[in-house]
Amino acid sequence: MLNEFIYNIAVWLDDTRWSTMLHESYYMYNWVESTHVLTLMLSLGMLFLIDLRMLGLALPDVPASRIAQRLNLPMLVGFSVMVITGILLFYAVPVRSAQSVWMRIKLVLMVGLLINAILFHKKMNAAGANWDNEPKAPRNLRIGAMLSLGGWAIVVTCGRFIAYDWFDCIYTDSEFIAFVAGCLDDQTRF
Amino acid sequence: MPATLLGPYTRTILVVAVLAATLAFALSGVRGEVYGNLLPMFEWMETTWFGFIGKTWGAAFATIQAFHLLGLALLGGSVLVAEGRLLGVFLTDTPQGTITARCNRMFNIALATLIATGVFMACGVALKIYYLPVYWYKMLALCGGALFHYLVRQPLVERAPGEVNPWLLKLVAVASIMIWFTVAATGRWIGFSG
Repeated sequence: MLNEFIYNIAVWLDDTRWSTMLHESYYMYNWVESTHVLTLMLSLGMLFLIDLRMLGLALPDVPASRIAQRLNLPMLVGFSVMVITGILLFYAVPVRSAQSVWMRIKLVLMVGLLINAILFHKKMNAAGANWDNEPKAPRNLRIGAMLSLGGWAIVVTCGRFIAYDWFDCIYTDSEFIAFVAGCLDDQTRF
Repeated sequence: MPATLLGPYTRTILVVAVLAATLAFALSGVRGEVYGNLLPMFEWMETTWFGFIGKTWGAAFATIQAFHLLGLALLGGSVLVAEGRLLGVFLTDTPQGTITARCNRMFNIALATLIATGVFMACGVALKIYYLPVYWYKMLALCGGALFHYLVRQPLVERAPGEVNPWLLKLVAVASIMIWFTVAATGRWIGFSG
């Protein structure tokens, strides 16, 4: 039911003129994809420094809350660009993207990481300032930072895997993969 | 002995010499000769274990690509924070020396990750990239970036505060961001070529 709904939405998007134009424009598609990948340097670059600071592995002699507060804005700018370019990439190839196992894992993980980030900030604000100059953050914040680092590493890996067609609905024989990818028996578009 | 001969401008003379040698290499016939002689090395790269794994297991190749991207993210973060501090954009209430020194450590780790994963990836598609002009642009940008970072930028930012004109530091910061962006962008373009 849900998979059918997602498929129908994807087919509708696929039928729009702009989707075809974006997909078939060699330069535009590559510009969008390059921007999506290169913005990693800003978004994940800042995030890694914040998380590594919490673990005591980066900038240990700079107050942790200062790092988190100052790098937050550029990190969010980077993530905003990634979300916009990510939506455009999805829009360019909607049916295949909607039925990609890796895209689905990536999206679920990103929701989890968003919740982790919100909890992390709440805990950081609640922890007060008495640990700020310590090389390592309190244990609960370190766990949050490790989850964030590991989670984003998997997100990047899934993002990279989307480009490969190992588990595409048109090729897969596995019922499990077809279930996770949301493949439909009577689908005509891939 | 060389330091005595060159006086207080050892690094400057070294950088100019490297640039002059690069220009001479690029504009003379030596470049074509070296390019031709490198083909056996790229053929050999495909026969190594790295080349075998890269060509046989797509998942291994893709996973290494992901680690390459993670290294790129760390490199981007360390460059942007350090250069942002030099430009007066980030962490202006923290001593410049602290930020640049700490970020340099991250930069070294990121560059080592990028080179290690890059060598693996290159072995898997060695003959393809050998014939791609954009691959050589990337190598040129990477070598230029590393030389610039270790021979020009680091010696300047390691000097005592006030010893170097702040505008020179800002120029170095802008140049650094542009160089590493070029390295990343040319790397991305390899994926679209060939």
